[in-house]
Amino acid sequence: MAVADGGSIRIDSEGDIVSVRMSIRDAAKAIGFGVTEVTRIVTAASELTRNIYLYAGSGQVCWRRVHGPRTQGIELVFEDQGPGIEDVDQAMEKGYSTSGGLGLGLPGAKRLMDEMEIETEVGKGTVVTVRKWLRRR
Amino acid sequence: MAVEDISVVRVRDVLLVTVPTHPDDATVSVLQEKVLEAMARHESKGLVLDISAVEIFDSFFARTVAETAQMVRLMGGQTVIAGMRPSVAITTTQLGLTLGEAFTALDVDRALDKLSEQSLGEL
Repeated sequence: MAVADGGSIRIDSEGDIVSVRMSIRDAAKAIGFGVTEVTRIVTAASELTRNIYLYAGSGQVCWRRVHGPRTQGIELVFEDQGPGIEDVDQAMEKGYSTSGGLGLGLPGAKRLMDEMEIETEVGKGTVVTVRKWLRRR
Repeated sequence: MAVEDISVVRVRDVLLVTVPTHPDDATVSVLQEKVLEAMARHESKGLVLDISAVEIFDSFFARTVAETAQMVRLMGGQTVIAGMRPSVAITTTQLGLTLGEAFTALDVDRALDKLSEQSLGEL
């Protein structure tokens, strides 16, 4: 299967953040995103991967090419069986963090991507799905 | 990416660090330690952090750079971030990242100019 069609990576260590960045970069490039869009996608992926490592310890990211009505794009799904997010609205506020970080990860990733959905349950885990669509030329 | 790949080069009275294309968190942390050790060892008036190879600048990286600039400042030096790519500048701004006390320059050459101006200004 070509890298653009899809793939997944386990996140168990800090070093996996770099592997995720490189794979997502290759996939986004192959789908046809330009350098600025690739940078946005990979930066968002880096933030969300770090969130998994920081809060859940481990998890995985899957990516795939998605087709919309008039265009195509990339979808990234970040999944973990960690503690879950108690207050999603609060977690989406810029500057809010329970880990002593900058509190930019979730809101930043949302700004960098076109769509974001969060499913979470305390004690069960979190699934963050983000999408970016190719602009039609 | 091996952590040892980070080297702090002393050019006259300035420390120059070139950040690799894909630094992991450990590399970024080691970079900070090495810079501060070098600041203590040599009489340096500042640090130039060349990030022209860096493709992704995320919140951990930005926080470490901002912290390093603050630490260098406490030790009496100035930090100049040089060579940020346009795509990285766009993303960094959208993400809401700031670099604290660090100055910025288009490239290493201009960063060195900036540090000279700074030290002249302090006279």
